[in-house]
Amino acid sequence: MNGISFLMDHLPLLIPLIILQFTLMITALVHVIKHPNYRFGTKGMWIFIVVILQLIGPVFYFVFGKGDNE
Amino acid sequence: MNIIEVKNVSKSFGSKQVLDGLHLGVPTGSIFGFVGGNGAGKTTTMKLILGLEETTRGDIFVGGEKVTFGNTKTNRITGYLSDVPEFYPYMSAEEYLTFCGEITGLKKAEQKQRIKETLALVGLEGNKKRIKGFSRGMKQRLGIAQAMLNNPELLICDEPTSALDPEGRNEFLELLASLKGKMTILFSTHILGDVERICDYVGILDEGKLKVSSSIEELKQTYAKPQIELFFDEVANFSALAAELNALKEQGVITEVEKINKRNQVIISYNKDYAETAAALLESLIAKKTMPISLRKMNPSLESIFLEVIQ
Amino acid sequence: MKNIYYFSKKEFLESWRTSKLFIVMIFFLILGIMNPLIAILTPDIIEISFGGALPVNIPEPSSLDSWGQFYQSMTQMGLIVITLLFSGTMSGEVSKGTLVNLVTKGLKRSTVVISKSIYLILQWTLCMFLAFFVTWVYTLYYFTDDNSPHVFLAVLPLWIFGILLVTAILLTSTISRNSYEGLLLTGGFVVLLFIVNIFDKLKHYNPITLTSENINFLQGTSSLGNYMPAMLISISLSLLFLYLSIVILNKKKL
Repeated sequence: MNGISFLMDHLPLLIPLIILQFTLMITALVHVIKHPNYRFGTKGMWIFIVVILQLIGPVFYFVFGKGDNE
Repeated sequence: MNIIEVKNVSKSFGSKQVLDGLHLGVPTGSIFGFVGGNGAGKTTTMKLILGLEETTRGDIFVGGEKVTFGNTKTNRITGYLSDVPEFYPYMSAEEYLTFCGEITGLKKAEQKQRIKETLALVGLEGNKKRIKGFSRGMKQRLGIAQAMLNNPELLICDEPTSALDPEGRNEFLELLASLKGKMTILFSTHILGDVERICDYVGILDEGKLKVSSSIEELKQTYAKPQIELFFDEVANFSALAAELNALKEQGVITEVEKINKRNQVIISYNKDYAETAAALLESLIAKKTMPISLRKMNPSLESIFLEVIQ
Repeated sequence: MKNIYYFSKKEFLESWRTSKLFIVMIFFLILGIMNPLIAILTPDIIEISFGGALPVNIPEPSSLDSWGQFYQSMTQMGLIVITLLFSGTMSGEVSKGTLVNLVTKGLKRSTVVISKSIYLILQWTLCMFLAFFVTWVYTLYYFTDDNSPHVFLAVLPLWIFGILLVTAILLTSTISRNSYEGLLLTGGFVVLLFIVNIFDKLKHYNPITLTSENINFLQGTSSLGNYMPAMLISISLSLLFLYLSIVILNKKKL
């Protein structure tokens, strides 16, 4: 399998995907850092979850981690 | 005319009876202080008037219309400030009031005007911060703004001053007092000083019943007996004193003697003129050579009335 | 009636300002892109993991694989994320007491329920179609076969099931004291549907089949008409859930 040509073939899929994943992660990351009152857990834990668990990490943060009044 | 009529209302939560055949009338145009200890049923009564709770028995009328549980029409003419008002933290004060105005059905132009007025009234004008950054006092002020937004005929406030610092409390009471004549205000509190300062009517709630409901003047006249308080030092001869005071009582100069030994204090009730009574009292004390450290004419306070009423 | 508009507007503002709307939209866009990508990559992944040891030929991926992936990800991830994000929609307002000010201003409790359901349904529709259109466009671009003639017909049952799910979220959230209880009850409801699914006879009536038969509808090998009872039952259940939510909220202490 030719890696480069594969990448080139699928750029229309990969570029938006990477951008969106990144946006999701950054949104959650900024929120974690700016609002340090979590329902549970620590800042470090939530940064870890948001960065490592792509896709589901940010969602988990907004469902379970985000403090009520933030 | 009474804007609120509570007729024989009882309310139980499970086996616990909170209100027991409560009768309450709030005269239109008054500032009505609703007093009672913690757990006396003040909040419950207010929630019943607002249709937020269902009565177990009895009826409530607001502005002549019957209150129904759930969606009561009488809320059109009422404004409510709960003890801990809760807002949407992601809105600004102005956005929140706009939303409230929309819900109440204010016309666009009127709404803008009212929001400006009420925000100015509570000192939150030009505040663009989201409510999540508000202090307790600011929330309380926004609470009064939302309660007054639709120019209610009846304003109901539940313990509005208890969470405020002395300065905030002062401002808030002045605000309420300034509304006199514009609307009827029913507010609950356990701080009797607040009631004495701004209310013209008072209701004292105890054990689910309204023990007293009258104008403050009337209340003072009915309940507060004229009293004189005497203080003595340790060496005073109390047995001689007691004999002397009993003699005065028999002569009809004074009506009652209450000795509080621990503090060397004697409280004397009388029903004649103060000067006359005090003169007679002092004369006999001089004759017995038992001089008090202090003699004080006691003004009837709401506090003493309250304690007497709920005994 | 006007209040329904104002309260729904508030729901959108809430969702936007608490970042939920943004997160859920990005999430569904990602799902939409992932579907064709996974379909394309699957043969390569199989080849890499088995090396050359696999004797059978792996068939070329087709539009059906892409759509198959779409229905899988929508039910396994999409609906779950919607449930997670909105399971506290009513219990949150009741437990915090944010409705007190509004109800004492004459806002009807039924208006709260109806507005929230409108918001949730619009939210679900928006999310589903975001993912749908992204998958659709990429599938048309990468797969030129005509194995999938009925794209719109196939997605309709999923949409209806989503509506049933969000009304179930609303009801369970109205019943419960917090979002976790609501989550548990919604989960229970879905589990119940799966249990009913064991009985093959009830297949045409069970709403859950609206999420499992989509590929057959897509190819036209299964007639959507046969599943009309399941759709009707879903819609009736949704209406029942709305009605029950109103009844329960009317009795709730705020």
